[in-house]
Amino acid sequence: MKRELCGYAGKILRVNLTTKEITEQPIWDYVPKYLGGRGVANKIFWDEVKPGVKALDPENKLIIMTGATTATGIPTGGRIVIAGIAPQCYPEQYAWSGMGGWFGSELKYAGYDGIVLEGALEKPGYLFIDDQTVEIRDALAAGIWGLYTYDTQIKLESIHGKDVKSIVIGPAGENLLRMAIVATANETAAGKGGFGAVMGSKLLKGICVRGTGSIKPADVNKVLELRKTMGTPGFNTNPIKESPKFFGHGQEAEVEGGLREYNTTCSHGCNQHCPRLMMDIKSTTWKQERMNQVSKCVGPFAIEWKYDCAWMPAQTYVTEKNNTAACAMMSGAAPPPDFSDPEIPILFDEHQGDEYNFWGPDYNRGMTINELCSQYGVNKWDIIVWLMTWLSMGNAEGVFDDIDFGMEIDVESEDFMKYMLDMIVYRKGYYGNLFAEGMSRAIREMGKEKFGDTIYQQRKSRRLGGKQLDIPISFEVAWGYSAHWNGRGYEGTVPLDTWLPIAVEMMTSTRDAQTNTHHKDTTDYIHAMKTDPYGSLAGPQSVIMNETKSELKEAITTCDWQLPDMFWMTAETELFEAATGAGLTQEEIETAANRIKNLFRAITIRNYDRTRQMEVDEIVPFHRYPDADGICIDEDGFNTFVSNYYRLRGWDEKTGWPTRETYEKLGLGDVANELAALGKCPQ
Amino acid sequence: MTNNNSNLGPKELGRHVIQHAKEYSVCVGCNACEIVCSLVHEGAAGQMLRRIFLERDTINLEDHTILTCQHCQDHPCYEACPKKDQAICIEADSGIVYINEADCIGCKKCYKACPYEPKRINYDTVSKKAKKCDLCRNREAGQACIEYCQVQCLALSEADLGREN
Repeated sequence: MKRELCGYAGKILRVNLTTKEITEQPIWDYVPKYLGGRGVANKIFWDEVKPGVKALDPENKLIIMTGATTATGIPTGGRIVIAGIAPQCYPEQYAWSGMGGWFGSELKYAGYDGIVLEGALEKPGYLFIDDQTVEIRDALAAGIWGLYTYDTQIKLESIHGKDVKSIVIGPAGENLLRMAIVATANETAAGKGGFGAVMGSKLLKGICVRGTGSIKPADVNKVLELRKTMGTPGFNTNPIKESPKFFGHGQEAEVEGGLREYNTTCSHGCNQHCPRLMMDIKSTTWKQERMNQVSKCVGPFAIEWKYDCAWMPAQTYVTEKNNTAACAMMSGAAPPPDFSDPEIPILFDEHQGDEYNFWGPDYNRGMTINELCSQYGVNKWDIIVWLMTWLSMGNAEGVFDDIDFGMEIDVESEDFMKYMLDMIVYRKGYYGNLFAEGMSRAIREMGKEKFGDTIYQQRKSRRLGGKQLDIPISFEVAWGYSAHWNGRGYEGTVPLDTWLPIAVEMMTSTRDAQTNTHHKDTTDYIHAMKTDPYGSLAGPQSVIMNETKSELKEAITTCDWQLPDMFWMTAETELFEAATGAGLTQEEIETAANRIKNLFRAITIRNYDRTRQMEVDEIVPFHRYPDADGICIDEDGFNTFVSNYYRLRGWDEKTGWPTRETYEKLGLGDVANELAALGKCPQ
Repeated sequence: MTNNNSNLGPKELGRHVIQHAKEYSVCVGCNACEIVCSLVHEGAAGQMLRRIFLERDTINLEDHTILTCQHCQDHPCYEACPKKDQAICIEADSGIVYINEADCIGCKKCYKACPYEPKRINYDTVSKKAKKCDLCRNREAGQACIEYCQVQCLALSEADLGREN
């Protein structure tokens, strides 16, 4: 009999929505080998979803997994992972999205570590889990089909009691928008991948759970210690802050009556409170005239966007003296910099964002867009970072002169953005249906050469004294996702030594990797990359370290804003041990992360024919445009970087495929055999 | 109001854990109070194991309400217990009403007698035992919920406040 560990609930719930069959499976079939979270999701997908399945087919599996830390009280453990074939990816591929909130902990208290959904309902429904009682309920009879995400949750609370926790889709998911999110609470979501559309394709409006059981961590004293020390929480009061205006990235926005906000927490058991809660905003969809809206990194850009945001190396690189988690920076709990640090000039060398002049400040417009995205259940990255900037740039360059969207293009107009969102979310007319397919597909349908690659002439680098630099009107980077710390485009002021590893992290992924692999390292890395950024092994080594940490974040689970900690590299091992008592060493934990990464790699190779050529060709084009320093990618140099990365990973340099030896070292001999039969496992 | 974690003084019956007004510090809804409560008392985290109750404001997030035992001076829970002074006891020095689980027979009479809605006594359907705030009377560091509140929005009431309206 397999040993049962602390930290886990013990079972995975399996629901076939077609046959209505509901079964349970021991989590011990997958852990500790795959740790939990995305590790278990990868294994289930590899075993059960073969090539040829499409994202919105009933055969696609929606895998919802918690981690061993979830519900134990270990800080940041409240996070879950949702995985499956992602409709947002271009082309469709297996991907995942992480989410905080209170659903994961409630699910574990109900007795389940995860849920695997397959098939599709015949009519709209939702899953109700009341401890061990699991039922498929009628979403039409409950009056939730068609409702916004917030309203759906409130309605479910009115039906099942205030103590239930729900993950839901909005109209965007129901209408199969490829960028539809799965939402919970206020502004917490599995935003990447379009898994809201996968739920919509299964006619599943949401999952509502009540759990009254308990989860026992292996080491209670360690959990209590972590609550005091992890990320150095401030333990200060959290008063409402008032300011006369909203201060953006170089522009101020008037706020009627002044801005009121405080910090809040976005997942169960977190010991930090980094998200901002903007209070008393004008409401478009909510039952009251005013409401509160959580604001994270992307949302404020809808309020004003003249300049791209600045970047401070201290956000990415740390020293022992200046090592602050992002969440502590956001909540104001961070201590002031230690100026005795000789690396201060490097850490605080601010890189000003490029000037774009996309739209002027308007607090109400920005918050309305945020609210609508949340309520409709649509990914803000596709709307704010991609659609809006594309409309702004394309309009300036005249590419829409022959296009009639039914209303004059004006991204500074709240009415226009409401019109566009309504048109897209409800698939009204030709363009509504077109943009509902996501930006990458819509632009290709319209003609990428004109509608994607036209150069925007008004980008000016403040790093280069206002010099005009080329940038295409579409911020597409790779796999159907927009720019994010890529050295150009949104959050684009990071220099070569930083966007280079980020490019490789995104290249080997199937989605924007920077929401779960926010690149991090010590300033030693900067020094090592100084003379030969493409050829130095410091680059590939840093990528692998960050990818390993990323796998652990979403397997254990923890939050990207708190870990990794460069001066506490055993953190993930300690967290896992405190939760489970499994006794895994640091080396064993890192091997598990490597196993999860290579199994993901195997999925991309078997199901989507991933090769070196394919992924290099995918990532390079956007990097041919200059970064804020005017530097374009050196393609030969990049290929050297990629070869070094593959070699260090144990992947064949020509194909990018892991070798048999690599798989076998990780206990993935069966995976090697299956790929060998396909001719995709080099010796 | 005080944030003093020191042991309770004698005869301060009625002191209980309070939530500060949001003008002082806004509860972030992290559940730390519930989690550490169940961890220090039970060694596990779970809804049926907590002695403090966070009512989440799911969407607006502004009005998370923390519900606690008020340690009523007329202690109806104690009066209702068929095994009073064994299963539910009053600590002589502090007046804290606490449950001695070894003797609790799970009759729920204390739960039913609690004058508040929602109830401030929990009931674990697995162990068939009632769970009630004891102000961490055996914990040297004082009330865990107060100690671990990351935004310091919990405190111990200054003196007897009587029942909430």
